[in-house]
Amino acid sequence: MPTVRLRDAVEYPAAAQKLFELSRSWFNHDFSEPPAMSRVMAWDGEFGAPHGRAMKRAMTPGEFTRGEKEMVAAAVSGVNACEY
Amino acid sequence: MTGDAVWYEAAQIVGITNALNVAADTLGVLGAVDEAGAPVEARALFADIRDFYQTDDVPLGFRFIAHDPGYAADVWAATRHAFADHRLPRRFKEALAFAVSMTTRSASGTALHLSQMRRFGVSPRGVVEIVGVTQMFSSYTKIADTLQLEPDMGDIAPVDTTPAPGGPMR
Repeated sequence: MPTVRLRDAVEYPAAAQKLFELSRSWFNHDFSEPPAMSRVMAWDGEFGAPHGRAMKRAMTPGEFTRGEKEMVAAAVSGVNACEY
Repeated sequence: MTGDAVWYEAAQIVGITNALNVAADTLGVLGAVDEAGAPVEARALFADIRDFYQTDDVPLGFRFIAHDPGYAADVWAATRHAFADHRLPRRFKEALAFAVSMTTRSASGTALHLSQMRRFGVSPRGVVEIVGVTQMFSSYTKIADTLQLEPDMGDIAPVDTTPAPGGPMR
């Protein structure tokens, strides 16, 4: 169980709704609620926004495809024993 | 990256890379096999490893475990198979191993796979792409763990209904 209460999207201010829309677009998936990590990152936009931009830069196709980068991300998450 | 086969290949890379790094980064106390005095099977093994990596030096992990040449040969066979071009290309597999080595703080593994990435044509910018992914997901995972977030994106990927290699369809 999370150590914090994850707020529903409606509990966030308008600025965060834009982040949730970006998240929906990024994953190309219509979530009933934004993913938990998106809601965590939207808690503090001064951290979440630049962190999200850095992630997006890192994941944008370049020499490696988005799919390859998602696989690297999955491997890193696995090695870090992160269940999320 | 759809279908399970590529993920099985990736998992092999993650596993065997970690296995080699564990040996390379901890077994200095054991001492590396002295090739000049090594049995013929160990020397043949080292020659094959050098050929595969196109390096003068045999990666440390193999030099430590070659005290048992039979065991080392089996580990090498698994390694060689895992890193060969199959559905995933060698170039990408080296990048994956580089990310795994970074994440586990393996200096020897990071150096080995960085050199192999370069050998397969990855530019400094491409290297930084992998560094970026590794760094960002090292952040996300720790944030998720600290807050004990539960998985909520598992149903995004489609299920692969094909059988295991050589197996019958359900």
